[in-house]
Amino acid sequence: MWYKLIVIADWFGEMAERYKLVRDFNKAAKNAFIAGKAPTLLETKITRGESAYRHTFSKFMGGGFRIKALSGRPMEKSELIEVGRVVLDNEELVRKLISLGWDTLEVHDSQGFHGCKWAFKD
Amino acid sequence: MKNILLQIASDTTAIIAVKSSSTIFTSFWFWASLIEFIVIISLLIRLRKRNSNLAFAELTKDKMKNAKETEINMDNLMNSINGSKDLYKELSRLCHPDKFVNKPEQKNAEAIFQEISLNKRNHQKLTLLKERAIKELNINF
Repeated sequence: MWYKLIVIADWFGEMAERYKLVRDFNKAAKNAFIAGKAPTLLETKITRGESAYRHTFSKFMGGGFRIKALSGRPMEKSELIEVGRVVLDNEELVRKLISLGWDTLEVHDSQGFHGCKWAFKD
Repeated sequence: MKNILLQIASDTTAIIAVKSSSTIFTSFWFWASLIEFIVIISLLIRLRKRNSNLAFAELTKDKMKNAKETEINMDNLMNSINGSKDLYKELSRLCHPDKFVNKPEQKNAEAIFQEISLNKRNHQKLTLLKERAIKELNINF
């Protein structure tokens, strides 16, 4: 019984941590855009993710970490790839994202449905 | 008379028990729930088997606890997204070891250049390397 309670508390703690990470990212992106450091405002969202990229810790229907350009200058494909590469090169962030149940990194532009996808497990 | 009544009572209870047990096994809902139970168990086994084939199956949740608790410097991440490319280009151009051939700073330049290549997309570390290059290689940015 106690074990079950701990599991439930862990689950809620994990969900809170996930939303905190998303909130922190969005806040930092907004500050960078306002300060003029970033030409494009970025926003993260939790999406379904790619089923082929699943791993043991993947969250059901919440495995995608999508970074989307919201406004400002539209991004080129090379810029989208660069954003993804920066996230993937940050080892601490990738470890945290995997442990919190994300399996797919998606980077999208503000216009259209095209974007880039990476699997965290690679 | 008393014995006869007791005998009748015991007979009727036996009949009711037999009837109730036979109705349970012939009931449609009993078999439906049994099949449902078997399906649920087999699906759970299948799910467990599939999870054991996925990536990171050998890792336990306790091992990942440290990763969960690490604090991420989001400002550094934003700076890396927006400014690390230009900074890397500038540093790799100015600190290239070929610029220090046959000079006392050559070894330092090689070490710094290696660090720059390793931390290509980390703005914080590139900034520290820039300061190190100013001190050790006497470069003016």
